[in-house]
Order: sequence, then C-alpha cells, then structure tokens
Amino acid sequence: MTRLIEVPTQFDDRSFDQFAASYAQAVDGERLLFDAHAAEWASPYGLVGLLAAGEAAARKGERPLLTAPANPDVVSYWARAGFFREAADLFEVHGKVPKVKVAVESEVRAAEDVHAVVSTIQQRASAILSSELGLDPKATMGFAMALSESCQNIVEHAGTGGWVAVQAYNWRRKLARRVVVIAVADAGVGFRHSLEPTQAKRFGERWGDAAALEAALIQGVSRFRDPGRGQGLAGIRRYLARWEGKVAIRSGSARIAIVPRWDDDVPLRDGLPAFPGSQVLLIIPEQEAK
Amino acid sequence: MVQAVLQQSVSGFYTDLVTRPTGRAVRENIERDLPPGTIAVMDFTGVGCLDYSCADEIVAKLVRDKVKMLLLRGLTDAHREAIEPVLAGAGLAVLCERPDGALEGLGASEPAPALLDELVERRLAARNPGGSIRLTAA
Repeated sequence: MTRLIEVPTQFDDRSFDQFAASYAQAVDGERLLFDAHAAEWASPYGLVGLLAAGEAAARKGERPLLTAPANPDVVSYWARAGFFREAADLFEVHGKVPKVKVAVESEVRAAEDVHAVVSTIQQRASAILSSELGLDPKATMGFAMALSESCQNIVEHAGTGGWVAVQAYNWRRKLARRVVVIAVADAGVGFRHSLEPTQAKRFGERWGDAAALEAALIQGVSRFRDPGRGQGLAGIRRYLARWEGKVAIRSGSARIAIVPRWDDDVPLRDGLPAFPGSQVLLIIPEQEAK
Repeated sequence: MVQAVLQQSVSGFYTDLVTRPTGRAVRENIERDLPPGTIAVMDFTGVGCLDYSCADEIVAKLVRDKVKMLLLRGLTDAHREAIEPVLAGAGLAVLCERPDGALEGLGASEPAPALLDELVERRLAARNPGGSIRLTAA
C-alpha cells in the first residue's frame, strides 16, 4: 500500500502544517510517495523539512518515493540548493533531475559538520549580510554564532542527523525586503522528548510539546544539568532581537515564535499535526534605512 | 595562542571556535599545562567565530573550575559578545586587555574590580595617571 503525500506548491513554514497533516495520517508499514511534481517554489525550511520527512519515513518502513518537480526551473533550483544530493540517500527519486555542483544545503551529524557549515557558509553570508542587507559588518560573526548554535541543536538533542540550509532572497510577498533565512530540520526525538527527564515534573500536567518549546526558547533550559547550558537559543534570540529578526521552532505538535513587528505570526501554537523531530527557522531582514 | 590549541584539538584547519566538543577539547588541552589557581593569559588573535557554547566550555569553565584569574587578549567585538553574557549569566568575570593596553573587566560587574585590584597589588599591573590600568612590563 502506498500513501500519497502532496508537497504544497508553495512550500514554506506557512504551508508546512498542511504537509505535516498529510504526513501524520501515514501508518507504519505504508510506503510513502512524496509528490512534489506540482511544486512551484520551496523555501529552505520546506526543503530541509522534506528531507526530515524522508528520513523519518525510511525509518518506519520502506524507502519512500519522491516525485521531483515537473517545472525545470524549480527542479534546477532544488538541485542547485543541494536538495537532490541529500535526497538520493533517503528517497527513490522519480523525475528528471539535473546534475549540478552548487550546494547550499548541508547535512549535520557531528560537531565536525558544524565546523564545516560555519566555515563555508559564513564566508558567503558575510558579503550578503553587509552589502545586501545593510547589516553592520560586525553582525556577520553573530550570524555565524546563530548558525553554529542552530546546528548544534541537532548534534546534541536530536539523537540523529539533520540538515541546514541558508539562503538569501527577496521576500516581496511578506516584507518587500531582502532576507537571509537559516532553516534547520531533523527527524530526531524533538524538544519534548529531549527535555522530559529534567523538565516534565516541573511543568506537571502542562507538559507537552508547547511547554517544552517554551522552556527551551523562552526560559533557556537545557536537558543538561551543567550550569552553563542553554546558552545557544538565548544567544540566537539576542542576535535576532538586535536585527529585528525572527525565530520559529516547530517540534512535535507545537510551534513557538519570537515575532518581530513586521510579522503577524502566532507566538505559540499547540495541537498542530504531529511531525517528527524539530524544525528551526531564523529570518534576518534587510535593515530599513534610518 | 588559542588558535594554535584549536589546530591541535580538531581535525581539519578551522579558525572558528564553535561547538561544545571543540570547546571541551581546547579547554582540556589548555588545562593540561595549567596548574590550578594560576593567573592565565589567553590570546584570541586569529580566532574567527566564537560561539556561546565554546565561550562557556572554554572561558567560563576555566574561570569557574581551574584558574584564579583569566586575562584575555586579542578579542574582537564579536568574541566579547559571545563571552560577556556567558560569564555574566554565571556571575563570573575575566579581565581583557584592549588594543591600547588598558585592562577592563568582562562579564559580571561585581567581581571585575577585585580582579583588577589584585593584579595591581601583586604589581602585575599598575594604575596610570589617566586612571586606566595596564600590565607592567614584567
């Protein structure tokens, strides 16, 4: 039995719940077919989220199928982003996929991968951040810190590997400004499971995905009892607050966001369709001229 | 030089001090040659990105568990931004030497003046007529 899971035509953090709802209906033993043939656009969040879904599906049953986008421009963009390089290990890919060399997405499994990501992406990002987004050149190091800490969440908490993608684009629809986006996704244990041994008792009946996200992002708690832990997400929050950026984390059936004034996202949502692991979104917008 | 220790501690050539495992490896390398309770100097020249995890794993843990006083030099603004909240959150402080040679506290505001006073008392630093404190030639 094969279950069809449609990839939204505009696949980003907003349409992710629609994708997750379809994914959540799958039962163990079913083979999944992720159908992206009609995809017109995917954000870095959508692409790394799709990889996480592929990994989770492969773990549960037969290797999932993936239909590549039919639009040659779209499939070419996904290829240039490094999506198919990573997808080849997870899915049985159908459709015409061009062979290209450029890779934006990176797999993160160990601390060495974080070094490689920071080193590679930081160089390319610093030019974009200062020249295109108008950030103070000093902000580029903060960007590297945010990138590093986001990736480390995978290594230290997911219990499995994950992916990071960084991209700059003109966000006409929402902001009419350029943005740099960092998206990190894994199909690991998620925040609730990771924090449960140390935090569940404290929250009592309130404990769940939403409480776990609140504990991690707002209260800066960590699953480790070591006194210096929990610095990463707090540092990311400080960095984004300074540059009017946004952070959103989805894990299990909840999603939390620190919402800047240019956005109308909901700060905390619970009861969403369950999805494995954690998906982190960081957005740094072009600075408005003062 | 922290960068030299970094090269010994991780495979591949990286200038960034990122991730806890890297920080732990660098700190353990540093600790090996460091008697407890000493006044240690760390030079960050050549270090690219320093993230919060590494700042905690190296700087905060050395101050908390190993050294009597830590003096940092070669810090960029970005390094300071990573170290400052980590130390402040733990109620710890270090001294850092600015490019002009003046010493100042970094981290929690309370312990820093005592660190400066101790350096002066030990004649490792002296107060200048302008009020700034600098290391003595020795």
